[in-house]
Amino acid sequence: MEEYTREPCPWRIVDDCGGAFTMGLIGGGVFQSIKGFRNAPSGFNRRFVGSLAAIKQRSPIIAGNFAVWGGMFSTIDCALIHIRKKEDPWNSIISGAATGGILAARNGLPAMAGSAFIGGVLLALIEGVGILFTRLSAEQFQPQMPPMEDPSQLRGQQNGGYSFQ
Amino acid sequence: MSALNDTDIYSQNYNTTSGNLGSYKQFSSPYLNFDPSYLPQAQPEFIFLEGASKQRGRFELAFGQIGGSCMIGASVGGASGFYNGLKATTLAGQTGKLRRTQLLNHVMKQGSATANTFGSIAVIYSAFGVFLSWARGADDDLNTIIAATATGCLYKSTAGLRKCGLGGAVGLGASVLYALWNSRDKFTQLRPLNPAQR
Repeated sequence: MEEYTREPCPWRIVDDCGGAFTMGLIGGGVFQSIKGFRNAPSGFNRRFVGSLAAIKQRSPIIAGNFAVWGGMFSTIDCALIHIRKKEDPWNSIISGAATGGILAARNGLPAMAGSAFIGGVLLALIEGVGILFTRLSAEQFQPQMPPMEDPSQLRGQQNGGYSFQ
Repeated sequence: MSALNDTDIYSQNYNTTSGNLGSYKQFSSPYLNFDPSYLPQAQPEFIFLEGASKQRGRFELAFGQIGGSCMIGASVGGASGFYNGLKATTLAGQTGKLRRTQLLNHVMKQGSATANTFGSIAVIYSAFGVFLSWARGADDDLNTIIAATATGCLYKSTAGLRKCGLGGAVGLGASVLYALWNSRDKFTQLRPLNPAQR
């Protein structure tokens, strides 16, 4: 269902990267505004200035990290779709784990393993919730059997009805 | 198709059934029970949702634009970071493993900084553009120009009034250039600059 609302595959990487960047920028902005407000020296004006400075400094970095995650995830997802010739939850889980591993590549092997595990579990949770919601919302679209007609009534129409000649 | 529409030997048998259709053309083939000229043949047909606009709006394009500018920023910044890193490591006389790590650091640092800058500008521009097209109910070049100017102003707004104006001017100039380039067909129709082209 969701696959038809997204871009086709190579462009999906750009799209996901942009979505992740936006999400990171807005979320990081909210988070950093609270943090800067709390950490600033007292005085309402100073607090606003500190909040603004924190947003300006930190939220693009958070957004960039999000964008890297989204872009890498989508790239691996598209590669898996190309290799495995199918789109299923395993693609997302594998690419989540691979993304976590690759992005922690410069921190050493144990960090890679932990990051990959966290990425895989996170994506498995997301996919599981998605499947759960699809199951729940599919309940109301169950096809209902049409009422059967009594075949004994059809007997009388055999001569009076259509004639294909 | 014109050969089929002519009266040939096949159509003679079917003229009797279509005689009561009045002004319709007589049907030509035994396999077609409608006039083939009703089918649109040249132009493509698209199916649109009821009530949806026939073009993708700013919101649908926004994420692609943001991601694209992010990636462009990353590649530009990475390339220039690679160049700067080469220069810096040569000056410092670093070789081997040390130089490789320093190069990676340069590329990563400058690439991510440029990508963040470009992406932030794209997010602000898209937010202004989406808001304007929602508020005005139209999606045209004026939206682009206003959104780009406001983006330039807002991005430089904390650096003082003069910088703010400068940023707005940069946004205005870039968007006007883009709008002129975008509507260059209209201008060439309006006033042919070069008569030799015609």
